[in-house]
Amino acid sequence: MALLAVGLSDYSQVMATASTDARVDERALIQQAQRADARAFESLYRLHIDKVYGICLRMTGNVSEAEDCAQEAFIQAWNKMDKFRGDSAFSTWLHRIAVNAVLGRIRKSKREQDRILAVADTEQPTVEAGETGELRDLSEAVDRLPKGARNVFVLHAIYGYSHDETGEMLGIAAGTSKAQLHRAKRLLAQQLKQQGFEA
Amino acid sequence: MNDDKLMQAAGQLSTKISPERDLWPGIAEAIEKPAPKRWSPVFAQAAAVVLLVGASSAVTYMSMKSSVSPIVIASPDMVFEQASFGNRYNLGPGFQDARNTLVADLDVELERLSPEARENIEVNLTLIHSAINNMNVALEEDPENIVLQERLLRTYREELALLRRVRGLTRNVMLRNDI
Repeated sequence: MALLAVGLSDYSQVMATASTDARVDERALIQQAQRADARAFESLYRLHIDKVYGICLRMTGNVSEAEDCAQEAFIQAWNKMDKFRGDSAFSTWLHRIAVNAVLGRIRKSKREQDRILAVADTEQPTVEAGETGELRDLSEAVDRLPKGARNVFVLHAIYGYSHDETGEMLGIAAGTSKAQLHRAKRLLAQQLKQQGFEA
Repeated sequence: MNDDKLMQAAGQLSTKISPERDLWPGIAEAIEKPAPKRWSPVFAQAAAVVLLVGASSAVTYMSMKSSVSPIVIASPDMVFEQASFGNRYNLGPGFQDARNTLVADLDVELERLSPEARENIEVNLTLIHSAINNMNVALEEDPENIVLQERLLRTYREELALLRRVRGLTRNVMLRNDI
């Protein structure tokens, strides 16, 4: 038991060291990227693409739009690298840019309905390969939420941002974020109940 | 499913999703080149002139046509040009044939729809055409831009999908004249 405790302690130390190393590495990469080092920026891209793409895919519900938004987000991040001061985590800064890219794209198409009409033939559900059963149904139900409720649910419930952060990212008040979350939960519960899921 | 269980399940959804293809080449292409120039005043003036001429021609055509028959024609912005892909690229003959066929029938198909649906489709097509024009202009300045090439191709596909959808919408719609 003592050996196991020592082993776990060592493991924790190794993990803590690895995490610190990763932060140091990321800081170094950010500084290099701020000096226009494209290779360092590519490393940052490799570190963060899965989460950035995840946000874009869950918010747009469409693979090709999510790809465009993720690319757009990284291109904008490159152009704004000198503005990153480290006040927030790099990932948070990047996610904010990604959310803006998604919102900008939706705004450009003027009306959500137009967007749906234009892409309806190519739209694919946002289900991750590892998601099965109940999670798969939830993922598909999130896709079907109205835009406002979906964006709040994705950022708050899936990505763990607070209502203040979610509101700031989406350009809405924290109270509106709470109201949209309540609406999202009600609509999701209705959808899932129809599919046979009970409390 | 109650609120707690719902939030718990939401917390288990994947936050990291890998894109199906590597997006880096498009990003690298975009960041290694200087930012594309914005529309120069000359471009903007030329575009405005083309739009004005197109609009006035269409209005003239509509007023002449209305005295002969009540057929509704596409709005000025709906004038279709030959699909092009920058200076260096060509879209396949299959795509051009499919597009030409759908475009040729568009006026008749639109006439069968309700005014709201027609307006929706016209707004969509106008947006798509505007995007295509902008991308073609940008590609002339930056012909190797992979992101632009991909977006342009995707926009042409969206246009084709929309035209097909219009045809699908009108397939089972009867005109008052059909009764």
